[in-house]
Amino acid sequence: MRDEALNITNQTEASLRIVGFLCNWCSYGGADTAGVCRFRQPPLLRIVRIPCTGRMDPLFVIKALAQGADGVLVSGCHPKDCHYAVGNLYARRRLEMVGRFLPFIGIDPRRFRFTWVSASEGQRWQQVVTEFSEVIEKLGPNPGLRSHAG
Amino acid sequence: MNTLQSIVESIWDQVDVVLGWRVGYDPLHPVPTFVRDRKDIASLIWNPLCAPNLSVFLAKFFRTASQRDKKIGILAKGCDSRSLTALIQEGLVDRDRLLIVGLTCPGTVDPDALAAARTQSGPITAVAFANGMVEITSADGVECVPLDRVIERRCQRCRHAHPVLYDVVLHDFEPRPVPKDPFAHVEALENQSLEARKAFWLKELERCLRCYACRNACPLCVCQDHCLAESRTPKWVTQKDTVADKFLFHMIHTLHLAGRCTECGECERACPMKIPVGLLKEKTAQIAMDLWHYESGTDPGARPPLLSYDASVTGI
Ligand code: SF4
Ligand code: SF4
Ligand code: SF4
Repeated sequence: MRDEALNITNQTEASLRIVGFLCNWCSYGGADTAGVCRFRQPPLLRIVRIPCTGRMDPLFVIKALAQGADGVLVSGCHPKDCHYAVGNLYARRRLEMVGRFLPFIGIDPRRFRFTWVSASEGQRWQQVVTEFSEVIEKLGPNPGLRSHAG
Repeated sequence: MNTLQSIVESIWDQVDVVLGWRVGYDPLHPVPTFVRDRKDIASLIWNPLCAPNLSVFLAKFFRTASQRDKKIGILAKGCDSRSLTALIQEGLVDRDRLLIVGLTCPGTVDPDALAAARTQSGPITAVAFANGMVEITSADGVECVPLDRVIERRCQRCRHAHPVLYDVVLHDFEPRPVPKDPFAHVEALENQSLEARKAFWLKELERCLRCYACRNACPLCVCQDHCLAESRTPKWVTQKDTVADKFLFHMIHTLHLAGRCTECGECERACPMKIPVGLLKEKTAQIAMDLWHYESGTDPGARPPLLSYDASVTGI
């Protein structure tokens, strides 16, 4: 089932995939704003809505990249604007750690990015997605560990 | 002159039990022992073959122990004392109930390096350490091997061979000098290309049996009964024997130890397949040092960086 669905989208859209983990309170709203304002965006991103970037397990980043996601983008509320007060302050330490760790295991760190976008920043959202998509398009497909997954 | 026995005798009235080492099936293989009877103090030993980090038992001890007045005595080399400190920092053991016998450490022996360095093969009857030499007595006679030739990788990079936390300290050996570049092994891998690094880990981890000895030997892996690696909901890693699954298991261990790992090297020492899994954690320790100037297990009052935040930081 799932494979079929993937094939259908593959035919109609670019085959590169970015997994976006977006905080429910800011960046998901920001992405929505960008959509409502009809800002053009590259079609690479697939969004996973999370309650807060504080929920962002660094393993999500590694698992997605190991399974062959071409990029991982994490976005939440600007520091000090967190719905839960400090979730994103914890998150940025973890994300900074995992971002620096990726090259040690042979994963290109350019495939991972985290940033902060508020619900009103539709324009900024468009910019973030466009820029990151350009990076991923330049890097091309990520082999990940799919061929080693049996 | 203090000896191990005299120190343990002197603290005996304050403790319920002393965690230490005794001779195992031969003199090359000391094993952990829990001394609860005064007459067993004589069986305690301390030498560069006493590799196991005894603090691995403590978190369980504290979870199950009934509240008693007496303390838990424990022998601790430098690296072990850092593990103890980290456990105290995280509230997993109670400092007031510990009596730590610190041991200045000359480095521990890699048993395989020792086996390779020996020219004789007879069963070993005695081992002694003096002046930086390992003196092995067997049926074939006596043989000396320089300690430096057979030292464990973790000890080559040790920055705290003098314990960081103790109540009494035993100076039986000269502590190992601090190396110039403790992260040399990390850097050697980083000097290679991204592809080469990935190939390195795939090749190394291919051998992994997923026996979880590395995890079980880790003093700071304290949620083993609820480990993500074995959880079914959510199911993070499958039971398949693929290198991708092995890789993911090691990412779990590494990231759960990020900012906490004290570089004791037990994970690597315990690995039956000689996989340098300690390297993964050394990298996270190096990142913690770069980002937060934090060295885990050196300050019982410090808060691990990933358990806290600094709101004043800007730019990320
Ligand atoms: S890491 Fe340091 S303290 Fe630990 S056994 Fe080696 S030399 Fe001793
Ligand atoms: S991960 Fe390895 S080196 Fe780090 S604390 Fe655990 S056993 Fe020691
Ligand atoms: S101890 Fe070695 S073989 Fe066992 S799970 Fe750890 S890395 Fe794999």
